[in-house]
Amino acid sequence: MTRHVLSMVLRNAPGALARVVVLFSSRGVEVESLSLDPTERGDVSRMDVVVGLPAGRSPDQLVKQLSRLVDVQSVVAVADPARNQIGA
Amino acid sequence: MDTVTGASSLVRALEDAGCEVIFGIPGGAILPAYDPLLDSVKIRHVLVRHEQGAGHAASGYAQATGRVGVCVATSGPGATNLVTPLADAHMDSVPIVAITGQVNRSMIGTDAFQEADIRSISLPITKHAFQVTDPADIPAVIAEAFALAAGGRPGPVLVDIPKDVLAATTTYTPAQPVALPRVTPSAGEIRRAAQLIASSRRPVFYVGGGVVRAGAAAQLRTLAERTGIPVVTTLMARGAFPDSHRQHLGMPGMHGTVPAVAALQQSDLLIALGTRFDDRVTGVLELFAPGAAVIHADIDPAEISKNRKADVPIVGDCRDVLDSLNAAVRQSPELTSWWAYLDGLRERFPLGYDWPADGKLAPQHVIARIGQLVGPEAIYTAGVGQHQMWAAQFVGYERPGSFINSGGLGTMGFAVPAAMGAQCGVPDRAVWAIDGDGCFQMTNQELVTCALEGIPIKVAVINNGNLGMVRQWQNLFYRGRYSNTGLSTHERVPDFVALAQALGCVGLRCTEKSEVDDVIIRAMEVRDRPVVIDFVVGEDAQVWPMVAAGTGNDEIMTVRGIKPLFDEDL
Repeated sequence: MTRHVLSMVLRNAPGALARVVVLFSSRGVEVESLSLDPTERGDVSRMDVVVGLPAGRSPDQLVKQLSRLVDVQSVVAVADPARNQIGA
Repeated sequence: MDTVTGASSLVRALEDAGCEVIFGIPGGAILPAYDPLLDSVKIRHVLVRHEQGAGHAASGYAQATGRVGVCVATSGPGATNLVTPLADAHMDSVPIVAITGQVNRSMIGTDAFQEADIRSISLPITKHAFQVTDPADIPAVIAEAFALAAGGRPGPVLVDIPKDVLAATTTYTPAQPVALPRVTPSAGEIRRAAQLIASSRRPVFYVGGGVVRAGAAAQLRTLAERTGIPVVTTLMARGAFPDSHRQHLGMPGMHGTVPAVAALQQSDLLIALGTRFDDRVTGVLELFAPGAAVIHADIDPAEISKNRKADVPIVGDCRDVLDSLNAAVRQSPELTSWWAYLDGLRERFPLGYDWPADGKLAPQHVIARIGQLVGPEAIYTAGVGQHQMWAAQFVGYERPGSFINSGGLGTMGFAVPAAMGAQCGVPDRAVWAIDGDGCFQMTNQELVTCALEGIPIKVAVINNGNLGMVRQWQNLFYRGRYSNTGLSTHERVPDFVALAQALGCVGLRCTEKSEVDDVIIRAMEVRDRPVVIDFVVGEDAQVWPMVAAGTGNDEIMTVRGIKPLFDEDL
């Protein structure tokens, strides 16, 4: 299991959060922490998630899958090598 | 800007989106929408007998025409009956829009009668789902739903509309056209791909359904003929390259041809176009095409390097990618020894079959004769199982979109409603559903729809009396213990001829080899009603070749226990 930090901008649309969370669950992604905060723009929120991925799975794939969601305006995997290994 | 009801706004928005046919069933929550629908001269409503039929019909329509298919259901059970077709369209990237009624806004979340949270239920099986809460939004939402369904990688989109939103008074403002960005293939990657192609010695085009969706068959043929590179077409791509073409090696994968499977395994360069390295094609991934570099072009970046790392990733529509490659490839590879190897395999391991020991019809013969007599201008649909694989193997496809089946989800019962939808979209072509006796019993109610609506599809039931593919696995992997796979359809329960007649169709039966051609020709002569033919075939026929699940493609068996690529030094 490797740990990654994702930073997203999410449209404030009904069901947007559910769509992201369901993607995590259907793709076998563990969610360690999740925070959702309003932005100065009223129409989008900022979402930061710490996820655990099974060994061998790259965060790039997850970023691309999240990018497909209509309500996700942007998503990046934030490099954080110091805390990359869960339990390390 | 006109004052209308939400329901009228919906119908006008659908007309403006180019919708010409809707497959659906009315019910309480969607009722308001059905009133203005009665007056629409642009939209034909086909009253199906089950919502699942509506969804698969929309998919068949979309795949036959290249346009967005539309289905409509009411709230609650109407909506949940659409779950299977939505998941099916999602897996096979089919552009459909599903419109569902919902309980009144004030009732949402109260466990009201016929309430189901279909937007949440459909989350993982749609590209996107809308719930309209303001009637003024209807035109824009419908326009966006159509654009999303058809744009990029196509797929299903759900629009859930509460009853009071449909009943409310609003204004109709035509939606602005929705423009989705179109990615241009990277020039650098195209250049690298052209270099790899020129220097390859054992290249192969690994062609998937994306080439069909992109309308890129002509561009593929141009590039294939200019380079002389062999082509394999996956289950979803049958017809994207003519079966009669000498560079075509057939279908790869679990039930692929030996030359197609060997071409991938022995390749030094896979040129993968609109395909997703599905497990039915790759077998055990670690053992798949071990010596090959990979050029992978797909419109969905999330598919590239998902299962197999791409050396040259190209994000783009297959038509754009192939146009770019056609411009960039100036030098063709030297392929003499590669073709000598592949032609040798083609000669030694053609597709074949044995006649059943019980004296019954060989299902492969029936399907091959349908393909030969009905011809490549027709559209063929299939359910899921043995008959589907034989339909993929033994019908010769020459045109993209001429074979419509459920590839990714593997939905039994797909054939009849998909044929119905295809025939509505393409009334001038013959449409044949090649179905199994198990599949046919799941969705044959739509033959009533076909009979009443004048949709003259032909259904060839390949009746082996069993859930044939499951039985084949029980034979191979469960020591022949046939648990719950017998269907008694050889004892004529149900009697498919009588059932066909009860459903308003012509019912025919064929049990002898000498009758096969005659019965097919008789069916072709019927133009005013659907036809069902009960082909009573042997129950022990098996689908070969086969790569057993959990093994590598090198272990492909031409018949049980015979592994030509594994056992011999070719």
